[in-house]
Amino acid sequence: MRNLGFQWGRNLVRRYYQRYDFLISSSSIPVLRLHPLQPSISRGLFLSAQQAYSTESHSELPVDLLRIMEQRMIAIEQRSSYLQEQINQATVSAVDYSRANKELRKLGSSMELIKELRTKEKEIDGLKSVMSDCVEDKDMWNMADEELAQALVEERRLQHLLLKSLLPKDDADERDCILEVRAGTGGEEASLFAMDIFKMYEKYSQKRGWKFDVIDIMESDLKGYKEASGTISGPRAYGRLKFESGVHRVQRVPVTEKSGRVHTSAVSIAILPQADEVDVQLRNEDLKIDTYRSGGSGGQSVNTTNSAVRIMHIPTGITVAIQDERSQHMNKAKALKVLRARLYEMERSRLQRSRSKLRAEQIGSGDRSERIRTYNFPQGRVTDHRVGITHHSIEDVMEGESLDMFVDALLLQEEMDAIASFGTQ
Amino acid sequence: MTLRFAFPVCSPLAPFLASSLHRRLSIPSRSSSSFSPTPLFSSDHRPPLFLRPPAFAASRTDLHDFRRWAESLALAAGPRLSASDGGPDAALLRRELAWLVEDATVAAASESGVGEELRLRVELEELYRLWKARIEERRPFQYIVGCEHWRDLVLVVKEGVLIPRPETEMVVDLVAEVEGFEKGLWADLGTGSGAIAVGIGRMLQEGGRVFATDLSPVALEVARLNVERYELKDKIELRWGSWFEPLRDVEGKLMGLVSNPPYIPSSHIPGLQAEVGQHEPKLALDGGEAGMDHLLHLCEGSASALKSGGFFAFETNGDEQSEFLADLMSIKLGNFFHNIKMISDFAGIQRFVTGFRR
Repeated sequence: MRNLGFQWGRNLVRRYYQRYDFLISSSSIPVLRLHPLQPSISRGLFLSAQQAYSTESHSELPVDLLRIMEQRMIAIEQRSSYLQEQINQATVSAVDYSRANKELRKLGSSMELIKELRTKEKEIDGLKSVMSDCVEDKDMWNMADEELAQALVEERRLQHLLLKSLLPKDDADERDCILEVRAGTGGEEASLFAMDIFKMYEKYSQKRGWKFDVIDIMESDLKGYKEASGTISGPRAYGRLKFESGVHRVQRVPVTEKSGRVHTSAVSIAILPQADEVDVQLRNEDLKIDTYRSGGSGGQSVNTTNSAVRIMHIPTGITVAIQDERSQHMNKAKALKVLRARLYEMERSRLQRSRSKLRAEQIGSGDRSERIRTYNFPQGRVTDHRVGITHHSIEDVMEGESLDMFVDALLLQEEMDAIASFGTQ
Repeated sequence: MTLRFAFPVCSPLAPFLASSLHRRLSIPSRSSSSFSPTPLFSSDHRPPLFLRPPAFAASRTDLHDFRRWAESLALAAGPRLSASDGGPDAALLRRELAWLVEDATVAAASESGVGEELRLRVELEELYRLWKARIEERRPFQYIVGCEHWRDLVLVVKEGVLIPRPETEMVVDLVAEVEGFEKGLWADLGTGSGAIAVGIGRMLQEGGRVFATDLSPVALEVARLNVERYELKDKIELRWGSWFEPLRDVEGKLMGLVSNPPYIPSSHIPGLQAEVGQHEPKLALDGGEAGMDHLLHLCEGSASALKSGGFFAFETNGDEQSEFLADLMSIKLGNFFHNIKMISDFAGIQRFVTGFRR
């Protein structure tokens, strides 16, 4: 399944390039070295950093895409006016009012763009008719022609913006997230790399101005990390880090290795969006909360700094234990935070699995067992297998310097996936 | 009731001075009085460790050496301590050490090894002395750093004040469940460090007040510090005196009464872990023969102290005491109270008795 997804991704990517040439405009984007397995994928797709389609000059959108967009626009306009009617009714109930209002607000930004686009379309029609009416009047015709050219450029810009606003968005993108790192195959060496990669994300977070807070660390014998988790808080933390979920493979000579042989080990990473009380409502009856029991009467008879809390969510059996905060209250709060994130993630994956096969195989679908990246220390490079990009300074990556390069390419791919599925509806 | 000092009187203090202090303290025992701010006796005038300015320095290597020494001490002593009287094990001690270093050092501007010197709130030799006291004398960690993290607060504590327990955190949650609590008059009897009072005080709105009482001048001094640190002087009034005596003026007007009174049976105290039995104030622990002397006094006085519909919550030593008191309140005093409940703490022990005045 993994290979199939990867393979399919490459073909689709080739199709994108042909159909969606409009996404690649500026030639000032630097070219990246491509993964040796993908020589046929054109440079156009994997140009990095800048969101290519946000530069000034936009190419024309393909006709079939425009047709679908037009259908969507009509549907939204109709829905919007229906909701507006509902609100304006004298006999509307409070529940219906707030529900309609909420949906209207969600459609708000798309409606704005649609209105602008309609206005622009009328303007273009008007100019075209002026031009057909006064073919003889050279000056008039030229003026109208100039204005028409400008209007068409503006129309394209609006169409691109509208397309973006119509693409399915993940609300979770704006949120903070929880990072979970687990050493996989490779024993002690995997634990040491788990520690390195955990610190890499800490450095990356700091560089982006996000707050990094350790939740728990389980150390191995050589002081590596068997398991480690932390919260990362800041704007769009989840949106950028979500692609890190999966298996990261490392090839290097372990510190324990006497003969200098290169070993391969693996670390698995999970990124969960943080959920608040609105997303996941926890009922007290569903929680079993335990604390350390001293064996005696507790209370005044005990003075301990152990305020570890363990919470089990009875319906799902998910258990979270937190011990390193300095008060029981804070341990409990953290445990609830992690529990909510896990439940939220469970619900999200359930929803995602029930969607179309197309969506499930796209980037960011969160298949945790997918091997997504290889860190090759002897050759000094890091390769992301999903977008086929290799960065040739592994030290930079481990310092948290170059992750953005991968993230931007992955975001671009995600957007293209979204456009593809938009076009097939 | 005899007034006992909550703290051991230091030997250098001449006996005549001790008794004159005793006389000064016993005078206001019958009348309620607002607590006067001059500390009558203080064994340590310095601010708590975690609040001292970073006036000292040490090199990273020196601090590293200290940690290594302290860790080996913890590893060696841990098993012995936990086996002897349920004291801390090695893992717990190592974590306390990490927190001690955290509280004693000021975070460097850059986390990397740049900068050889660290700024400390105590001199390095003091750290050695403090950790030695932790291990050898079983001096409570919280007294060493001068604070206890409780709920989402950091409360100042020192010798002479009971260190707030994690179980007691729940009292604040129980108060928050009372309809309209934000604007009511509350009393925290035997406030100690002021933990419960501050916890409630932070949630109060216009018109809400907490009267926090204690018999120990040291406790009130610490409570005052905590009230000030959380800027709750206009919400919390500290009063010196025994249980209901300082509250005569608000008798019958209280929306709620909470207390974590001393509830350990006298005979149990010698057997407690050393951190508690040898360092925390007996005044805050000893509840008489069955441990219920004070709890019974509180139960009996609540009827007149609370207004109609008023709420009470008392912390107890566990199942036996809670059951006894719940019976008392619902049967013998059933004319005055209803809706009596026993609430468990997170270790599954019936820790609190709550109810309402009819």
